[in-house]
Amino acid sequence: MKVSFLSLCLLLGTMFSNIQSQSISGNVKDANSIPIAGVNISVDNSNNGAVTDYDGNFSISNVSSDSNLIFSYLGYQPYSVTVGIQTDISVVMQEDLSELDEIVVIGYGSQKLSDISGAVSTVSSSAIEAIKPVRIEDALQGQASGINIISSGSPGSKPTVLIRGITSYAGNSPLVVIDGVSQSIDDLNSLNPSDIKSVNVLKDAALASIYGVKGGSGVIVVTTKSGERNSETSFNFSTSVGNQSVVKMIDVLNASEYAGILNEASMAAGEGLIYPNLSGIGKGTNWQEQIINDAAIVNHSITASGGSDKTSFYVSAGYLGQDGVVGPSDKSFFNRTNFTSNINTDLTKKTKLIINTNYTNIKGKGLPENGINSVLSNSLNFDPTVNPYENGSFGTSETITQEIINPLAQIDNTYNEGNTNKLTGKIELQHNLLDNLKVTSRFGYTFVDIYNKNFIPLAFYGAGHNATNANEDLSPIVSVDAEGTIVSTHNRISESKTNYFNYTFETYANYDFTIQEDHNFQTVLGFSIGENKGENISAYNEDVPFNSWAYADISAATGNATQQTSGSWQYVGRNVSYFSRLLYDFDQKYYFSFTGRVDGSTSFGANNKFGFFPSASLGWVISKEDFFEDAPLDYLKFRASYGSLGNDNINPQFALISTFPSYTFDGSIINGSALGSVPNEAVSWENQVQMNFGIDTRLFDNKLSVTVDYFKKTVDDLLFSPNLSLYLGTPSFPTTNIGKTQSTGIDASLSYNTTIGKDFNISTNVNFTTSDNEVLAINNGDKFIWGAGYGIPYTPIVRFEEGYSPGYFFGYKTDGIFQNQSEVNSHATQNGAAPGDIRFTDVNGDGVIDDNDRTEIGDPFADFTIGWNLAIDYKNFDFSVFTYASVGNDIYRAYERNLNYTNRFASTLDRWTGAGTSNFEPRVSFVDSNNNRRASDRYIEDGSYLRIKNIQLGYTFSQSFAEQIGFDEIRAYTQVKNALTITEYSGYDPEISNGGVLNTGIDIGTYPQPRIWSMGLNIKF
Amino acid sequence: MKKLKQIFLLVSISILSFTCADHVDYEPIEGYAITADVYFQNESDYEAALIGTYDVLQWLYLNSLIGDIASDNSLCGGESATDVIGLQQIDDMTHYPNNDNLRSIWQWLYEGVNRANYMEENKSLLDFEAKNALYGEVYFLRAYYYFELVKFFGDVPLFVDGRLTAADAGTLSRTPKEEVYAQIEVDLQNAISSLPNSQSQLGRVNKYTANALLGKVLLYQDKFSEAAVAFDQVIGVYSLVADYGSQFLSFGENGPESVFEIQYTNTSNWYDWGCPQCSEGNFGIIHNGPRGWDGPEYAQGWSFNVPVNSHYESFEEGDIRRDASILDMVAYATATGANYTEGYEHTGYYNNKYIPRAGQSGAQTELNYLNNYRAIRYADVLLMAAEANNRGGISDALAQQYLNEVRMRAFGDTDHDITATGTALTDAIWAERNFELSMEGHRFFDLVRTNKAASTINGFVEGKHEVFPIPQAEIDISGLTQNPGY
Repeated sequence: MKVSFLSLCLLLGTMFSNIQSQSISGNVKDANSIPIAGVNISVDNSNNGAVTDYDGNFSISNVSSDSNLIFSYLGYQPYSVTVGIQTDISVVMQEDLSELDEIVVIGYGSQKLSDISGAVSTVSSSAIEAIKPVRIEDALQGQASGINIISSGSPGSKPTVLIRGITSYAGNSPLVVIDGVSQSIDDLNSLNPSDIKSVNVLKDAALASIYGVKGGSGVIVVTTKSGERNSETSFNFSTSVGNQSVVKMIDVLNASEYAGILNEASMAAGEGLIYPNLSGIGKGTNWQEQIINDAAIVNHSITASGGSDKTSFYVSAGYLGQDGVVGPSDKSFFNRTNFTSNINTDLTKKTKLIINTNYTNIKGKGLPENGINSVLSNSLNFDPTVNPYENGSFGTSETITQEIINPLAQIDNTYNEGNTNKLTGKIELQHNLLDNLKVTSRFGYTFVDIYNKNFIPLAFYGAGHNATNANEDLSPIVSVDAEGTIVSTHNRISESKTNYFNYTFETYANYDFTIQEDHNFQTVLGFSIGENKGENISAYNEDVPFNSWAYADISAATGNATQQTSGSWQYVGRNVSYFSRLLYDFDQKYYFSFTGRVDGSTSFGANNKFGFFPSASLGWVISKEDFFEDAPLDYLKFRASYGSLGNDNINPQFALISTFPSYTFDGSIINGSALGSVPNEAVSWENQVQMNFGIDTRLFDNKLSVTVDYFKKTVDDLLFSPNLSLYLGTPSFPTTNIGKTQSTGIDASLSYNTTIGKDFNISTNVNFTTSDNEVLAINNGDKFIWGAGYGIPYTPIVRFEEGYSPGYFFGYKTDGIFQNQSEVNSHATQNGAAPGDIRFTDVNGDGVIDDNDRTEIGDPFADFTIGWNLAIDYKNFDFSVFTYASVGNDIYRAYERNLNYTNRFASTLDRWTGAGTSNFEPRVSFVDSNNNRRASDRYIEDGSYLRIKNIQLGYTFSQSFAEQIGFDEIRAYTQVKNALTITEYSGYDPEISNGGVLNTGIDIGTYPQPRIWSMGLNIKF
Repeated sequence: MKKLKQIFLLVSISILSFTCADHVDYEPIEGYAITADVYFQNESDYEAALIGTYDVLQWLYLNSLIGDIASDNSLCGGESATDVIGLQQIDDMTHYPNNDNLRSIWQWLYEGVNRANYMEENKSLLDFEAKNALYGEVYFLRAYYYFELVKFFGDVPLFVDGRLTAADAGTLSRTPKEEVYAQIEVDLQNAISSLPNSQSQLGRVNKYTANALLGKVLLYQDKFSEAAVAFDQVIGVYSLVADYGSQFLSFGENGPESVFEIQYTNTSNWYDWGCPQCSEGNFGIIHNGPRGWDGPEYAQGWSFNVPVNSHYESFEEGDIRRDASILDMVAYATATGANYTEGYEHTGYYNNKYIPRAGQSGAQTELNYLNNYRAIRYADVLLMAAEANNRGGISDALAQQYLNEVRMRAFGDTDHDITATGTALTDAIWAERNFELSMEGHRFFDLVRTNKAASTINGFVEGKHEVFPIPQAEIDISGLTQNPGY
């Protein structure tokens, strides 16, 4: 223990003098000389104490000269001083920057990380800066335990975000709170990650239940940057340019191989040779190479921040331009422009006004993705013997006449544009009624205006192709229908406008107080009221002049009244909530919290308008106990929480009239009406019960810290469209609370920081996430619900079923290849099977292979994921690597179209051609009498991967050099994203996100995540 | 400074007072949605809801298909032994509670019932001149749907007051069929008393339609004298067409012999393979068509419901109804050079009354056939009247007269007149029904109600197969009891 000479003298002095009582006044400031209000001052060994006022002043009477004053304030290092003979004490408190004392914004307040007894993961701005993501979610992947992020490589696309498993069928998207304002995960597309100060993920009930019914899937709390008081304006300019490229191509047949296989398949079906002469066919066209190209990504931003003694500000402008790696840059891009302004000013000594405003513009164009009609799917399945161009137009296939088209022609004929303007922000007043009672009132808003235009031109993809709607010269196809009417094909233009306006108004009071010096309380009480509104109007017309994008507009199209159509939709949802929280600790050793929120929503049925979501938590810092002193750990804390949350992803349920029914009188059709839906006035939230147990510990002089959490979530009253009694007829049945799921899992993170010698800093952390999900009940009669599927005809493959993991793959099990007829004969009856066909497993053992033999064949969700960060600083160099691994996720390979004339996967070359030739790849035949293509584990691959997501090497120029050329700091860096992927998966990318949770892992031609090389510069001045 | 405090206080108070539960109430009008509670405002709304109640008639193709397939007259056919497995099992009398087709029949018939009940619920909201007659149609339709339910399933849940809500799921139980029949009779009596003698539009039911159905319902309960009275109302109102076969062609639709005909058209090109019965066309037709057809007159189909040779051979020499009812495909192909492929259980015969004919469908050929279903023909009424008079001991002479009127048209002479009386006459009437109404979907139910099913249908178990099983899903969801034997 360090005892200063001065305090020793003081101590001695007091010993010799008479101990006397006195009044003391003083002032508390921070390092920037800004007064701190609400600092707790306690006099040790007494009940005496005080709190600083708005100007940082305090006074205490009856203080004996030998007592110590202890100053404490959230986020600052405690400060202690012996009174002695002083009567006026000025204290400068230092911000507490140690990791555990980090301030975490937890919703309607903030708390020191070390004081939290719930489960939270934090990602700091430095971690975000190291990754430089396009969307902030990408920076959460592997950086925060308990969160599973599955991304797509498509420019600007929204990843799948799961916090602690899959518990719901109706929606698993977490709530996003930006600077206190509740928003949705979609709103993260408009944030410039470089404006973000920190991201905290509230994972358990203790923390999330302050958001009640919206907190069931976790809460992502985003805090944007703000300026500092009394600081000079500083500018920060950063720029980077990069090149994106696709690393891996899928191995499909080249033209010669394709022709050979087609010949064999045709012969096997008793038909003639398709290509009598195989010589000279050559390799043909590699369609993937035709459409995949390198693409640019650029990112610029400039910020200015600073403040006077009454006002601080942060303003920024940013631009991100990302082109797609599929197709040319004028057809596929995502361009985002942001302007952010965060102003914080004192209206009076006690009242603060905060205005945050963020304007975003997003412009984009896109090519078809993720589906049988995507450009990638076409490039994988189109005829390789066709030339890209022939006689000045696009090459066409004579044999492929359905869906699959020349991808270059498709790109050329795809015309669309989108323009989104978005204004988000808040206006907030904070008023200190008392020194430790603060009232906050805030209006948060999101206004979005989206414009889309889409033009489908007359196009020719080959004579008789079902996608062709024009003659070869692009003139309309004119024909006469059965009734003798002349009909013609048309090009088609659509335009739509969509507006969203969401607001929340919230008022709450924070009251913090201490009783008997060790009993610390932080309380919140407030209410929230909000509305989400959306509306869309769209119009269509035909006959755009000159079949040209340049003229593609409703106003220019010449279609007549019957060709012009329109549509619209709108929705509104409102909610009212009341919330309260009590945080208590005794001597920062024992913690207790209680949180409750009452939520009312228009989504709920008339009989169930309000729900109550309480939670409680306990924490115990064992390392503060006396008996712990000799333990080898520097710090040890236990946490436990229990509480309930909700999910309101439903719409109000009514008995709606359908005007669809019609009947025929006198031979003509007359429109009628009927009840279209059955109401459910009892529908309510999904009631989720969460339990969390956690341990935080630090070892080796606090260099190693470990956090482990175990959680269990149970959802009752899961929302589904049930199968009600059939005697209700055929109206659509209302969403009803009829299911139950359970998720359990472990989140763990481990971090280690050390300095070797003088210049060598190493910090590393590992985040581990796992969850085990199970559907416990679906009381809809069938006990399952189909999720996503693929292909034509559409084959459902994903199930949400009682007794299984949600979203698992369902299909046939394969058991090799029938090598000869006797194997066919000795197997269960499998209609149409012949030697060379796949032997499907008779799962139910009834001697017949049929639909009842389908079973679980895979699970698209990882058993666990691990993220590993390593950062090394040496002198002026900084180096960071981020590695991410996902283990145990299965992929259903569904990008093969499997028509007779579409191209095939290269593994076809290892097909069965006679007994003993292959036990994996069936024979080829134009007549697939065995239906080898049926949904089976043949298409399941292990999608586990390890990926070096990010490598960054930076160099900060010496300050003297920077100042010489007029700057404060200059840092240059180079970065590689997706540097290396180790996987056994045969497709482009093992990370497959199609947007929804229940179609995760189905590879319908997923957009690969490109490798991005970039260089950048950060300049501060 | 002070002002600010006051403003703060005032704003907070005003917000708090306005923050009441009203904020989370939601009315469908906010989304411009029309709900059941506000729907009936004009006469036209009642008219539209009636159209909706008729609409379900168009879905009932399975009811008539099963009437033949389940009987001794035809086999299921189709492409293979697993093509529409539910129908295959019914053909073989191996059907069990899990049967998609029976489930559809159950659910669709109840949809009809619910649509009628929804009108019943709103009957008193508005008065207009045509209301009484309009509700006559509603009651007829409800009776028709309930009658089909009783024919197929025996005891069924009975509810008549209004639409059901989610809360009613699983709360109802089966009502004895006697009580359901009683309700059907009440509905039909109400229909008879309010329906006009004739309607301006073809396809609408009138007083005689209701009488004919009432007679049939009574006959199914062996209430012969009451049935005879009901049929008496219809006798003479309609007439038999001279050319028996012509009434099954498109130009023969809604002819003088048509008492109740379910209407279809090919004028709408709308279709949805997810709901094939929802189009304005008759989905049953494509089922009966020749497989792989390449020839004149007819069109490609799915080779279901193929008549058996014994039925074909059972017709008497000179009976014109045989060829009008059954297409001898082998002979036809030989004569015209047409080609076709043999489907599963190929017999060489097709249902010539409800067969796809070239050019009679719309955009989606399979789903848009225009063929109406002749649910009650006058010939049927005559035969039922004959049966009521004979079995009720009212008048065998009258029975003979009605029977022979039908035979006269079939043979074109009086040489084939029946002179038998008593049970011999009963047998003759029953036999006649199978010739006159061949392949029209009545056979199975006639065999059941006349206690001849067990002796006629292979695999038919007495005490079990008289009714079909309640769909398993309904047992699971609603806890209904199952029919015996299933």
